[in-house]
Amino acid sequence: MSSKTSIYLDHNATTPVHKELSVQVNELALHWGNPSSVHNHGRGPKQLIRKARQALAKFFNIHPLEIIFTSGGSEANNTAIFSVFDNEWLKNKNYEAEFITTTVEHPSVSKAFDLIESYGATVHRVPVNYDGVFDIDFYKSVLNKNTKLVSVMYANNETGAILPIKQVVGLAKEVNALVHCDGVQALGKVNLDLKSLDVDYCSFSAHKVYSLKGAGALYVKTGTPLNSLIVGGAQERSRRAGTENTLAIASFGQALDLVGDIKTKYDHQENLRNKMETQIEKNIPNCKVLSKSAQRLPNTSNIIFDNIDGESLLMNLDLKGISVSTGAACSSGSSEPSPVLISMGLTRYQAQSSLRVSLGWETTDAEIKYFVETLTEIVSRLRRLKQESAG
Amino acid sequence: MSEKKRVLLAMSGGVDSSVAAAILQEQGYDVVGVTMQVWDYSKTECSIEEGNGTCCSSIDVDDARSVADHLGIPFYVINCENEFKQNVIDPFVQSYLKGETPIPCVNCNTYLKFDYLIDKMKELDCDYLATGHYAQIKESPLTGRKSIVTSSDDWKDQTYFLFTLDPSIVEKLMFPVGDWKKPELRAYAEKLGLPVAKKKDSTGICFVGKNDYSKFVEKMAPEETKTLSGDLRLYPGGEVLAQHAGTHKYTYGQRKGLGVSWSEPLYVIKIESDTNTVWLGTEEHLYSSEVKVKNLNLLDDIQDGESLRVKIRFQHRGSDAVVKKTEDGVTLNFVEGQRSVTPGQAAVFYRSNQLVGGGWIQ
Repeated sequence: MSSKTSIYLDHNATTPVHKELSVQVNELALHWGNPSSVHNHGRGPKQLIRKARQALAKFFNIHPLEIIFTSGGSEANNTAIFSVFDNEWLKNKNYEAEFITTTVEHPSVSKAFDLIESYGATVHRVPVNYDGVFDIDFYKSVLNKNTKLVSVMYANNETGAILPIKQVVGLAKEVNALVHCDGVQALGKVNLDLKSLDVDYCSFSAHKVYSLKGAGALYVKTGTPLNSLIVGGAQERSRRAGTENTLAIASFGQALDLVGDIKTKYDHQENLRNKMETQIEKNIPNCKVLSKSAQRLPNTSNIIFDNIDGESLLMNLDLKGISVSTGAACSSGSSEPSPVLISMGLTRYQAQSSLRVSLGWETTDAEIKYFVETLTEIVSRLRRLKQESAG
Repeated sequence: MSEKKRVLLAMSGGVDSSVAAAILQEQGYDVVGVTMQVWDYSKTECSIEEGNGTCCSSIDVDDARSVADHLGIPFYVINCENEFKQNVIDPFVQSYLKGETPIPCVNCNTYLKFDYLIDKMKELDCDYLATGHYAQIKESPLTGRKSIVTSSDDWKDQTYFLFTLDPSIVEKLMFPVGDWKKPELRAYAEKLGLPVAKKKDSTGICFVGKNDYSKFVEKMAPEETKTLSGDLRLYPGGEVLAQHAGTHKYTYGQRKGLGVSWSEPLYVIKIESDTNTVWLGTEEHLYSSEVKVKNLNLLDDIQDGESLRVKIRFQHRGSDAVVKKTEDGVTLNFVEGQRSVTPGQAAVFYRSNQLVGGGWIQ
């Protein structure tokens, strides 16, 4: 392929804006008024936000007023966790309150818990093993009547492993604990019926579902405590202050309307992903697909290549026009291996040898073929170099 | 169509390596930019200071990225904080604790810029490694061998920092700005519209910043520096003039801030680390003509008894010395006595303008 090759296999980091949506964006941007304004100019934007809220409600099978728009997934995650913490510690002075999360959460969840732990709260972290399996016995052993919030992601961003959220909810309900689910990676990849999932909070990010950056949403079940991280105006029914990012929110709604049939997209990505893994395992010795036996998102593959520096691999692929990631995108530029992979029992060295490939709705057979060929070439060259310098 | 040769360019965010990127591009190379993040100030404080005029702050990393984006070349940041700490910061502190005045830029060049990046060059399938150093590579018309020679800009020449290079990598190196003079280079950067065209030149030691060295050493080795106090003595008689709070606060040749008054100007002429004695003397005692040098690295053969031009610190203009081989290095006999020969600094040898090698002053 020519030097203009551009293959995007990093859809867990972000997704391209849906072609139809990118056409509609100009039209949406014309509604520049402040949605809180009483006059004529406020009506258009207000209507856009209302429509977006309805689109989300329909998509997730919930009531529109159970949606709070945020700036993105991180704010939604923070809002849910600090809502419960503030409610217990600041409002009820309940210092016995305990919190449960997992060892494989996104930093916007894990660092929120680090923070409340530093204030003195008890936080339990349920491990997820090498194969991506959630330790349900550990979870049962730490769950008790003091547990006020359980926060478990729907699917892991690095390995794609799906966590048993229904089971987590079922057990949490027995002790009246609230459940927050970070649904950011699941959106657009699997069916999400929040009513049947029965979680109390669920976080989403628009740009993971072929929409613009700058909008996210927190689902909050009616009757559940909520404290905005930002105080000020009465936007979002006084549950999140600050003038709404109308364009990003409106686009979020439109993007969900454009999702269409998830099953077809799921099958397309899963078939390609599985084919890719089979080819890689056939072509490249000493590699291992993480969490392969676990239930996984259809698009994600995390592969360890023995004796290869993942960062070098990533740069080499980039120079060939292929975008993938190593660890999580957020950790680029830091030399620390992914804490998620370490917590799963990988050695530092293994974690630094990992490559995350995440496919999208539009990924093609030809792209995967070129990727596998290029990867095979690079891995074999890098291993040859290692041997030469060792010999 | 023949494949373009690919060059890995170490970009510091400064004007030199930025222009180097543009030059390589004009020469038809496929350029890949890389910056080593070695010492991050931004973690604990919000600073908008222009990198202390340095080569390793986060702001400089951003500058390098902005130049790469401007030129449309791929660019990567490699985190080398651990390697930098281990190979540059720790030896720097140890050297001060031993009463020396170290020159950390040599280690940075040896272990990071070259050793590490030569591996990266191979890993990224590049043909050459380039830096923005003021130095040149010249091929001998007789042997075809490549060697490093001083830059066209005498004032900026940085070959002093390159004496530890492994001679086998010289043929893989490129110094695109080595035949430029600084003012022209800066003008060219402006003409190209490079975002760093007006950026200040780097001065001093990047990780120390504006703070003084002794404070940095105290921060890095708080316990050890407490044990370095001792006597300020007059050379050669040995009378105690005062007490000092630590040998790490003094450098060879220092005149200001000694805290003693004397009929004649006094200078630090020797720091004895085993007794923590700082020796002060008058100007004539500053000079020495015999200098012992160890841990040699040679880029070319030298003859025993050969006369070479030697620089004993970066800003030194170079002075002729006869080089006699010893068991573990060489002894230099300078034709003219040299002022403030400082242990911890490098003695770097030149044959005419060719960099021949060097070693560490004992």
